Order: sequence, then structure tokens, then C-alpha cells
Amino acid sequence: MTTRERQRLEAAPQDRDRLTRDLLRPVLHTSPRIYLTMMALGAFVLAGLVAFVYQAYWGMGVSGLNRPVFWGFYITNFVFWIGISHAGTLISAILRLANARWRRPVTRCAEAITVFALVIGASFPIIHLGRPWLFFWLIPYPSERGIWPNFRSPLLWDFCAITTYLTGSLAFLLLPIIPDWATLRDRAIGWRKKLYRVLALGWRGTPREWHRLEMAMRIMAVVIIPVAVSVHTIVSWDFAMVPVPMWHSTVFGPYFVAGAIFSGIAALIIAMALLRKILHLEEYLKPIHFDHLGKLLLVMSLLWVYFIVAERLTVWYGNATPEVAVLLATQRGKFLPLFWTMVCCNFLIPFPILAIKRLRTITGTVIASSTIVVGMWLERFLIVVPSLEFKYLPFSWGNYRPSWVEITITLATFAAMPLLYLLFVKFVPIISMWELKGGEHPEPAAAAELAPGHEASDPWEGTLPSAGS
Amino acid sequence: MSRRWGMVIDLDRCTGCEACVVACSAENNIATAGESQAAKGRAIHWIRVERSWEGEFPNVRVRFRPVPCQQCDAAPCEPVCPTYASYHNAEGLNAQVYNRCIGTRYCANACPYTGRFFNWFQPSWDKPLQLQLNPDVSIREAGVMEKCTFCYQRALVAESQAEAEKRPLRDGEVSPACVQSCPSGAMVFGDLNDPASAVSRLAGLDRGVKLLEEVGTFPKITYLARES
Amino acid sequence: MNAIYGLFPDTDSARRAVKALGEVSRRLRFQPRQIVVVSQEPLDDREMGLPRQHTWMPWIAACGGIVGGTAGYALAAFTQRTYPLPTGGMPVVALWPASVVTYEFTMLGAILTTIVAFLATARLPRYGQRVYDAAVSDGMILVGVADSDVNAWRDLEETLYEQGAERVRQFSTA
Repeated sequence: MTTRERQRLEAAPQDRDRLTRDLLRPVLHTSPRIYLTMMALGAFVLAGLVAFVYQAYWGMGVSGLNRPVFWGFYITNFVFWIGISHAGTLISAILRLANARWRRPVTRCAEAITVFALVIGASFPIIHLGRPWLFFWLIPYPSERGIWPNFRSPLLWDFCAITTYLTGSLAFLLLPIIPDWATLRDRAIGWRKKLYRVLALGWRGTPREWHRLEMAMRIMAVVIIPVAVSVHTIVSWDFAMVPVPMWHSTVFGPYFVAGAIFSGIAALIIAMALLRKILHLEEYLKPIHFDHLGKLLLVMSLLWVYFIVAERLTVWYGNATPEVAVLLATQRGKFLPLFWTMVCCNFLIPFPILAIKRLRTITGTVIASSTIVVGMWLERFLIVVPSLEFKYLPFSWGNYRPSWVEITITLATFAAMPLLYLLFVKFVPIISMWELKGGEHPEPAAAAELAPGHEASDPWEGTLPSAGS
Repeated sequence: MSRRWGMVIDLDRCTGCEACVVACSAENNIATAGESQAAKGRAIHWIRVERSWEGEFPNVRVRFRPVPCQQCDAAPCEPVCPTYASYHNAEGLNAQVYNRCIGTRYCANACPYTGRFFNWFQPSWDKPLQLQLNPDVSIREAGVMEKCTFCYQRALVAESQAEAEKRPLRDGEVSPACVQSCPSGAMVFGDLNDPASAVSRLAGLDRGVKLLEEVGTFPKITYLARES
Repeated sequence: MNAIYGLFPDTDSARRAVKALGEVSRRLRFQPRQIVVVSQEPLDDREMGLPRQHTWMPWIAACGGIVGGTAGYALAAFTQRTYPLPTGGMPVVALWPASVVTYEFTMLGAILTTIVAFLATARLPRYGQRVYDAAVSDGMILVGVADSDVNAWRDLEETLYEQGAERVRQFSTA
């Protein structure tokens, strides 16, 4: 992008629209520091790709997996990233349906996390395959082999659920971007103008288009919530459907969903804080947004504790030999340090930070979210590995230590997330411009349905920057 | 009525000599993992002899339990396979079709007996073992699961032999390598659907127990508990 | 196709313009549905005095869900029959596993039909020339009349300026 182009965009005389200008700045202006960051992240992703090719060439033996621990870091990452993906769509769909006005600057950040985390998460079952080049055998299509995949397998359910969720969350992310792309189409020049012209689909903004868009988003919000719940329930069923001690549990569905939303909100808070700093969106992502997401996080933290107590206490009282072996290994045995780190990260540290109003600042919520992301990764690890190490017959108990290949690939995905996000931010305004502008006026439809005088007492009044100020 | 292959293992007779393990490796082209990989848990042995001690020193008794795949009727490994690589064949065996396997290793996790094995690398044999590979058994490439087949290749040979001679298969005519090589005769193999077969008679004894019966897998291997 | 339109700085003037155009439509011989409104953010149709929008989209999505679910069940049942796996005497077409697949396909059907219905009823994508002005993306609201009698343009221009249009422009495709 040339300086001339930027000047034209930023100083256009007819541009009286500060909000649009602020939100388009990150798209149209990229500092060298961002290029450097992208290159550094790209190097990590490349290292991960190299590690994956190395593993595919030599065999899974280059990982730390063994008998009986056939699943390790890869499946941990799979569950973790699919969990992170619940940030978005679920949160923004719920807030959209509840008509929470503070959601407006937050939704697109969240929906983008969903899509990228899903793509990263869904790549892990393939990375972890013994013969990854045959992954398409999971797809139901009339193949020359004359055989269909087995729909009894929870892995097939995973495939269906993740496909549905990815389709839904892509639509949920992309549909409301169309009007913003139309704005970009009008302002960009050069190759970007051509690109946005195609992406905007010829959007103008007639009453008909607006009505259909809002209706589509309402339907998508209704549909995406049960899909999101089903996705992580089915991920939990990968474990719960097999007779492995501490996996075979009825509580796993809701436990996983709660954990997913928990880690998802944490990831969202971190992403928002980074965007706010890097893209200078201080006026749009305000402390009040972090405060409210912090409250949600607090609720989820409590819910997480509730589930882990419900899970572990019943196992302890049930006192079935194979299950207690796993339980004690996690709580008192070799996994003790990891287990209690997890409890600290998910509850003991974030709880006071999020519960005390004075600490629930941007810094506070980011600290809490960071520990939660670590804690939730550990939680997934402690679900996957101990049960396999201590499965039934003690003669076959084992030991798992990840190899450099697994660690490299794991780090690569943690770099892939910000990389994809940065690229996204460079093509799409990360805050939905038209929705934010719509929020400047009271919503007439909603206002008509509410009692008079409601507007004045709206606690969200003034949470959004007003144009022209 | 179709056959339903089953096995009885008399724990009273097992001496823990591990001849079954060696015979199995030779019959089924089981790759050798090498010392360091074996230490990491990568060794493949379709049958293992579990050794355990009972009592306090000096009144210690050692116990042995040979554990191959239990060939469950309700096998947890089968429904979880997304590609039908692990499936239930007509004679009741939990078969593994190597060419269908993409290596999710889900079956291995689902198996309560840890009776399934993964090919972590391309198979190789310590010299000169590569010279005695069995032509009746396919070699498994890296990335696929494998497991005990009850030496099904032997059953197929015996069945076609009997058919050629126009006679029914006799009890005891088929035996897997482990059964054949057991010096103390601790293992008996046969058709569980034939009430007159030795394996049916022994499986009905009061001493007969199933391994991890509480998991509900309905194994076709019956262990005769120790009396001595 | 041709059009004359004014660019209005706020919803108030745009609303007045829509009202005024409605009043002069009979005199200047055009139908009210020829009135074009384009905005950068959704407007309330009722407040703007525009005809209420109606769509069958939710029902289309529901039908899509039913079709998707049926297809999902059919797929699961069909494939289980083509490769029977009678594990431990359990049924070949297993209802519970099939219901999970049915559920996901129901949702997938609803999602896909929503996307298609949105594109079809919003008449997107359409890249041809239509009444539009880049000033809309600066926050202006476009109100105008499409395909009206060219002789009435002078009157229309006056009407639009009267209601507070910042600029009035003409648009025509050759």
C-alpha cells in the first residue's frame, strides 16, 4: 500500500466518518513491526510443518507415543483448540440473541477466533494419524474401495460435527463482513479494490439487503448455539464412549462444553487486549468490555470447579479399582504437580482476580485469562494421558514423555493462531463497522418493544465512541 | 451353524516359559523393535505372559497369565474404528484389515486389555529373522494397527483341506502357533459352537473366568483359575 | 437503466425525502416501489416509511434442516446396511449413533439453506452497475428514484434538495 493511497484514505475531505477511518486504519496501514512479527510467527509455523513431514516420513515412532499411551499431545491440542473455538461463535451468538449492546465491538474478534481455532484444532486428528495421507477415508463419499466410513465411530461424529460447525461459524463470521467489505471496496484502490469488489458481492445496502442479512444472522445465531454445544459434547464422547477408566463418564459432555467456553472466553480476552494495544483500538475495546467478559469468565471458572469436583468425588466414592488407580495417579501420584498447577491456573489464581471488582481491570483479566489458557491445556492433557497410562491391567501400564516433534508442532499451532489472526486483521476490519454504527442509535425495534424510559436507564449508554466527537 | 473360535487357558498349567510369545512372533511376521524402542513401549507381541507376585517374602508365589487378544463378542475396538479396519468377521473374530487402517489408534485406546499394537516405524527384523518370514501372513506397514488373529491363516488352510477331503473339520485340527507350541498344554483352541469340542467343555468348567469380565466385553478366551 | 438520487447526511432528512417522493410519485408518474434507498447501516423500515420487509427465510431454513436431517439419517442407515457389522449381536442400523449423525446433518442443512436463501433473496452476488454512490460508505444515505421519466428529473432534483440533500446526482447506464 502506497503512502499516496493511505493519505487519500485517511485525509479524504469527504471523510467525515471518524469511526470508519479508525477501524479501517489497521486494514490499510501495516507497520514494519507487524511484518516482522508475522515473519517470526511464520518461522514457527514452518518449523511445525517440517516436524510434521518428518513424522509422516519416518513414522509415528518419532513422537513420544507408545503402548499404552496411544494418544498424547496431539489429541490434547485437538481438544484444546476445539475448546478455544467455542469462544467465539457461542459467545457472540448468545450475546446477539440476548441483544446485549456491549457485544458489538467484541463479536467479530470472537468469531474469528472460532474459525481459526477450529481449523487448527481440526488439523490435529490428521497430524496424529498413522497414515495421514489417507485422512480422506474419514469422509463419506462413494469411493472406489466400495466401503463407507463407519458412522458408529465417534470419530465420524466428530467429522460431521466439526464440518457443520466450521461451515456455520464461517458463515457467521463472513456474512456480516460483506457490508464492511463494501465500504472497503469504495475506499481502497489498486489490487485491493478489485479484491474487495469481488468479496463484497455487489453489496449496496438497500433495505432489502439489510433485512435479509439481519434475518440470516438471527437464524445463524439460533442454529450455531446447539451446534457449538454438540461439537464439544461429541469431542468428549471420543473419550466417554470407550471403556477406559475416568474417560467413560456421563459428566464428560457438559464438563467439556463448560471447559470449552471457559478457555474460549479467556482466549477472547487475550486477543482483544492484544488487538487493542497493537491496532490502537483503545476507544472501541473499553475496560467495560473486559469487565463484563471477566464476569462471564468468573462464572465459568466456578462452573469448572463444580464439574471437576462432581467428576472426581463420584469416582473416589465409587471406588472402582481401575478408576481409582487413575484418580490417585493424577491427584497424588506422578501427575500431582500438573494437577495442582491446573487447579491454581483455572481457579485459585483467576478467582480472586475476577471476583474483586478493583482487580477486574484489563491487566487483571488478561492475567487471569493467561493462567486459564495454560490451565485448560493442562486439563485436557490430564484427561487424555493418565487414563491411558493406568488403564486396567497393571502389567501394561506405561509412561509418556512428548518428543521434540510433538512439542514443535504444538508450538507451531500456538504461532499459527496469531499469524492467521494478524492476516485476518489486515483484510477485514476486526470491529464490525456497520454494527458499531447501528449501536450509536437506540435500536428502534427494540425500543418500541420496551417500556418507555428504558433507553435513559440503559447501562450501556456511552460505552461506544460516538462519531464526530 | 458357523464356527465361533475360542480358547481356554489353564493358569494352573502355565509355566511362564513364553514359548507362545516366540512362536507367535515367528508365525505372524512380527517385527522386532530393538532394545531401545522396546524400552519405550514400542515392542510388538500379540501374546504376552503377565507375571505377578503374590504374598510377602519369603512366602512368595509367582503367577503367570498369557494374554492375547480376547476376541470379544462385544469388542470395544470395533465400533470406534472410523474406517471398518477393525471389524467382526463371520467366525466371531475381531479382525483387523491392515489396508483399511489409517492409524487413529482409537481401537488401541478402547481395548481394555491393551491387546492391540501399532507400527511406529516401517517393520524390520533383526538378522537373520528376515529369512523366515511366513508367506501366509501379510507384513504391516508403518502407521497401521495389528493384533492377534488366532492365526486365522491356519484355520483357512485347515478348512479348505477339510473341504477338499469332503469331511467336517475335526476338533483340534486347527491350532494357533501359541497353542501348538505350549509345552504344558495350558492352551486349548477350538469351536465354541460345537458343544462336544474340548474348548467348549473346558470353558464350561466352574474354574472358568473371563478377564475383566466387569467391562462387559464378552471375551472368547476363558481362563481356568488356579487351584494349586 | 437510469436514476436520479440525492445524498442525505442523516436519517431525518432521508426519511423526509422518502416521504416527499411518495407524495410526488403520482404527479411525476412513478411507482413508490421505484424509490431507492441505500445506506451504510440498517435503517428501520417502519420509521423510514418504507414498505415492511417480509421473508420466508426461517421457514426455508427449517425445511433445509428437515431435508438435511433426512439425508443424514439415510446416509448413516444406508452405509451401515452396505457394510453390516454385527458386533456382539447389536443391530446393524444403530439408532443412537445414527441420531447423532442425523442431528449434525439437520444443522448443516439449516446452515446451508440459510446461506443460499440469504444470497438468493438479497439478490447477491451481483456485480453489474446499479444505483449506488461511493459516498454511502462515508455515511451518506442515498434516496432516489430509479427508471423514472427523464422529463421529471428537474422536479425530482428540486424535491430532493428541498428535503436536505447535500448533493443530487444522475445515474444512467448507456
